[in-house]
Amino acid sequence: MSRRLVDGLRWAVFILSVLAMNFPVISTFVTSLKSEAEISASPSLWVERPTWENYRAIFAMQDRFDILHFLANSLIESLLGSVFAIGLAFPAAYAMARNGVGRKWLAPLVVNLRAVPLIIFAIPIYLMYQRLQLLDTRLGLALILCVVNVPLALVLFLTAIAELPLEIEDAARVDGATTLRLLVHVVAPMSLNIVAAASVLAFIYSWNEFLFGLMLTTSRATPVSVGASFFFAASGGGVRWGVAAAVMILATLPPLLLGLFAYRLIGKSMTAGAVKG
Amino acid sequence: MTRSAFQRSQRREGFALIAPLTGFLLVLLGFPLLLDLVYSISKVGFETIRAPEITGLGNYAKALADREFWSAAWFSLRFGLLVSGIELTVGLALAIFLEPLLAKRPWLMAFLMLPMMVAPALVGLMYRLILHEFVGVAPYYLSLWFGDSPAFFSNDNAFKTLVAVESLQWTPFALLILHAAHSAIPLEVREAAALDGAGEWKRLAYVDLPLMGPAIAVTFFIRFIDSFRVFDNVYTLVGAGAGGATTSMSIYIYQAFFKVGDIGLAVAASMLLLAGSFVVLYALNWAARR
Repeated sequence: MSRRLVDGLRWAVFILSVLAMNFPVISTFVTSLKSEAEISASPSLWVERPTWENYRAIFAMQDRFDILHFLANSLIESLLGSVFAIGLAFPAAYAMARNGVGRKWLAPLVVNLRAVPLIIFAIPIYLMYQRLQLLDTRLGLALILCVVNVPLALVLFLTAIAELPLEIEDAARVDGATTLRLLVHVVAPMSLNIVAAASVLAFIYSWNEFLFGLMLTTSRATPVSVGASFFFAASGGGVRWGVAAAVMILATLPPLLLGLFAYRLIGKSMTAGAVKG
Repeated sequence: MTRSAFQRSQRREGFALIAPLTGFLLVLLGFPLLLDLVYSISKVGFETIRAPEITGLGNYAKALADREFWSAAWFSLRFGLLVSGIELTVGLALAIFLEPLLAKRPWLMAFLMLPMMVAPALVGLMYRLILHEFVGVAPYYLSLWFGDSPAFFSNDNAFKTLVAVESLQWTPFALLILHAAHSAIPLEVREAAALDGAGEWKRLAYVDLPLMGPAIAVTFFIRFIDSFRVFDNVYTLVGAGAGGATTSMSIYIYQAFFKVGDIGLAVAASMLLLAGSFVVLYALNWAARR
């Protein structure tokens, strides 16, 4: 086969794969631009008269379905969940890499946690939260999101810190810096890249988490991944598919955009997480 | 300061640094695990939640005698193996075939990674729209082109539908990891193989694939673990519909607790799932050591 033909074939396969694997988002976006009349007349992928009406309709029904509330919940919980995970994992990873503490038991325990289905802990956590009045609170869900993110953060930090040059830290120590100051002013700035990578991935995982959002929240702290499915219940018998599609697009947009712009960072940390784990 | 005193202070400092993480995990995972253990051997209900009466292995016996438990375990196992097999095969093929494109234009990878950025729960909801009898795109085009569209959620088809949905979303993961492994093969190795007169297929079979072996194994395990515990997209797409044909292990536990209210059964099933994941972990570590 000629070179150009093979190259053409590669492009064809690439485009087809992208379309097939992203089909849910593409198709839902197309539907979200259609009027209800057009949706019931023809479900095809062609939009006769594109309109933003469905997106406007979401904000007109805030008394029954408050999407801004769900989005705000997701944003706050994901941010907290990522910050907690990084705040706990970073000093621990430093101690494991430099002081050799917990390397034998804590590191393998946390890393292997990724292979344990977290639903195992879901029921006692539910009962515990009930007593602590953490059910349906943003803090409660953020703590669980932290659990979800800690293993990956620890794996990434462990390898990153082990690769940092020791000389700079030694110099800072000679100058009399305490370990805490060292962590904040020397080690963290040198690890900004990996901290950013871990944060982005943790934020996306948190935003997309569903099981604990479903179990531990009912309304006040419900994240948008769960809230979006409420729409089907809120609209009663006849689902307004155009509006439903618009809801799904809005709920997906933040991690999607983040993924598009930070794909390099995400790709690196996903690969590193898989290989070291 | 003497050397040993320095080492002692180093250790003390180290313990202070890992203390927050350790404490956090003890409270959020250790204590729940203990509760799991106690409740799984007790007679317990929502009223007696603080005073469980230890009775023995009754809950385990009940779970093991439950046909739905076994059908859920079988669903998860079949689903996990099939899905990770498909993802690995397609991901590997794509990683190798698209290598020249991706090497020259790394940003193309962004579009292949996008599916992983969407919440599986939302993907489930999206397919509810796409596969809908009257307003769905898929039935529309299938009937247009082939004159007929299958019932995606019938007893026979629900499993296949879910396999397709899951594979389409997570093949990118295999593609990403295997692409990285493939481009990490040193150029000299390839050149040496070419010098020895190995053709492209031979090089693939005797050089590239063996070198990618560890990455292939890791990818398979990660995808297997994730798809074995599948919950989100199954829950939003079909629930436990299709006559229980789509009840995964996670959905079984969820329902035992929230729908049936049988705490003992739910935690016993959780512990059995934990035991199962230990088996997988053990296999993984064993494979990693080799």
